[in-house]
Amino acid sequence: MAASVCRVGGAVGRAFARARGPTLLSLRRSQATVTYAQSLLGAPETQLTTLDNGLRIASEETGHATCTVGVWIGVGSRYETEKNNGAGFFLEHLAFKGTKKHPQSALEQAVESMGAHLSAYTSREHTAYYMKALAKDLPKAVELLSEVVQSSALSEAEIEQQRGVILKELEEVEGSLQDVCLDLLHATAYQATPLAQSVLGPSQNARTLTRQDLVDYINSHYKAPRMVLAAAGGVNHEELVGLAKQHFSGVSFEYQDDAVPVLSPCRFTGSEVRMRDDAMPLAHIAIAVEGAGAANPDIVPLMVANSILGSYDITFGGGKHLSSTLARRAAELNLCHSYQAFHSTYSDTGLMGIYFVTGKHNIEDMMHWAQNAWMNLCTTVTDSDVARAKNALKASLVGQLNGTTLICDDIGRHVLNYGRRIPLAEWDARIDAVTPKMVRDICSKYIYDKCPAVAAVGPIEQLPDYNRMRSAMYWLRF
Amino acid sequence: MATLAGCRGLLSPSLNPARLLLSRQARAAVTGAMSLGQAAASPGEKSQSAGILGVRLAHTDISIPDFSDYRRPDVQDPKKSAQDSSETRKVFSYLVTGSTAVVGVYTAKTVVTQFVSSMSASADVLALSKIEIKLSDIPEGKNMTFKWRGKPLFVRHRTDKEIAAEASVDLSELRDPQHDKDRVTNPSWVIVIGVCTHLGCVPIANAGEYGGYYCPCHGSHYDASGRIRKGPAPLNLEVPYYEFADDNTVIVG
Repeated sequence: MAASVCRVGGAVGRAFARARGPTLLSLRRSQATVTYAQSLLGAPETQLTTLDNGLRIASEETGHATCTVGVWIGVGSRYETEKNNGAGFFLEHLAFKGTKKHPQSALEQAVESMGAHLSAYTSREHTAYYMKALAKDLPKAVELLSEVVQSSALSEAEIEQQRGVILKELEEVEGSLQDVCLDLLHATAYQATPLAQSVLGPSQNARTLTRQDLVDYINSHYKAPRMVLAAAGGVNHEELVGLAKQHFSGVSFEYQDDAVPVLSPCRFTGSEVRMRDDAMPLAHIAIAVEGAGAANPDIVPLMVANSILGSYDITFGGGKHLSSTLARRAAELNLCHSYQAFHSTYSDTGLMGIYFVTGKHNIEDMMHWAQNAWMNLCTTVTDSDVARAKNALKASLVGQLNGTTLICDDIGRHVLNYGRRIPLAEWDARIDAVTPKMVRDICSKYIYDKCPAVAAVGPIEQLPDYNRMRSAMYWLRF
Repeated sequence: MATLAGCRGLLSPSLNPARLLLSRQARAAVTGAMSLGQAAASPGEKSQSAGILGVRLAHTDISIPDFSDYRRPDVQDPKKSAQDSSETRKVFSYLVTGSTAVVGVYTAKTVVTQFVSSMSASADVLALSKIEIKLSDIPEGKNMTFKWRGKPLFVRHRTDKEIAAEASVDLSELRDPQHDKDRVTNPSWVIVIGVCTHLGCVPIANAGEYGGYYCPCHGSHYDASGRIRKGPAPLNLEVPYYEFADDNTVIVG
């Protein structure tokens, strides 16, 4: 009975479809829509050239009217010693205080008159100086950048003044408890290795670093093979290469006394650091295990795993209707104000963990459920979890490339990490290759029965003893 | 000139900077000099007073102590990844834990058993549980009494006449019918516990009408085999377990 109704319904439907006018049909597929697969393959290719001195130039021509161009250097706090920790950060402060050709006011004038933005950042393994400008101002931008990188003035007066600024900034950053917590996490996880050092450096170094220290730092690390001139926007690669040859050919590629800095592996130590202060309103806690390095193929399943865990903030609308199980629990049981799963990657190691902010009475519960979520990743992750996570991950990777600056940053970091830009299509293919079994196996390899590193700041009396947190890294099962 | 970094004393957790300087986000760009009108700290600005209770500088001044004294040899070198030795270290830890647990269980069992068994008979009592008797000391026709397990033990060296007499007793006459051969291993020797089965007095040897024992309390007569013949006692004298170690020695108990 029902079958005959369906057959009749089908026939009627087909009759209606045939009867539809051509105008309706053409509206169903307009020329502007492109499928996801097509857009992946149609993305402009990142072109990579290497100069004679080893400097790499990479650019993506996106056709925008603006561009971002910058120098990404493979140096960071990991290359610093205890004595000069904070030198890179100090240099970043001095970068825009004038060069040999352009004193500070002239430099500011040159940039402002273009309507450009000049920025910089320093991380543990990378330093970047970049400028956002109109596409037509590319030559001037490259010239100014080359001066900033190669011939910064580093005047004594300016150095003295910046000491105060840096100390003030150190004071400021104490208020940003997320940074404090994650810095402490690195300090304890990689203790006695260079990765433990914070980018900011200790306050003692801010007071005592001399001009000579900074000059030595530049001479030891600002070398052409470790630099990438990256650009994205309305840039022409040939033009960029020409400009690079003009301005960056002088960058040295030889090290004094052949002292090439070699990165040794950094030992991870399962450990904890607790900075208890009951006067603070919220506790900030991070727990992490040693993850995969940037070039490790395990990165992709681990990113999918983190996508399964997701993130949560108490300001999310929608209540407890969240796709991540941990997020749903957090909402239902009021476990935390926010949490996020993170994976900081370095060249040969990484920290994969969960960072959460919660009130002092929910710490134990939140830690329990967070570790429970990890155990689920290692044992019972399902097809639907992985499918959802893969989609979310792809969406976030694509969404992050929003604007010339972010694309340029992507290019710079990729060339430093991998030697080439990994196109979205390749990420897509790698993500598609992830299966639930792969997620379980790889998560077990990195998470199951491993010693975690824990950093906690705030009213953390309720945080369980380390041995109990260590015991929660495995289940009694055979 | 550079001022001392503002130190947050333990009692003043809230900061109130005069101006918000560069706010730092993990891995985000820090805008450089271009957007700074307010970056330079005015030299005249004094920092907050540190407070008597102690000065905490930046969190970057916190240094993790050196724990190399406590590290295993595999992880002493900070330039070597700890992952390579991870399996070995875990296996070692778990083996030690496992063996300690097994040893601990057996130890616990032993301790508990020892405490519980301390409530059983003590060594001197156990030592008294057996008695060794030299039979050559006892002449024929004589009954010797020994203290055994707190009770009198009668060892009687029977004459042939007594043996024959006891063997030929008709069982239907007996209140507690038992043939003599069921009560002795070697007919020459009768070993019984000298406690009257009536109310527990000690019978007198070589007394009574049947040539055995006579209990003076209530007049129970036992024969040379220790069987009740006359009187209020209901049962024969109890025969304990005994073994002849050799012809001259018997061990009772």
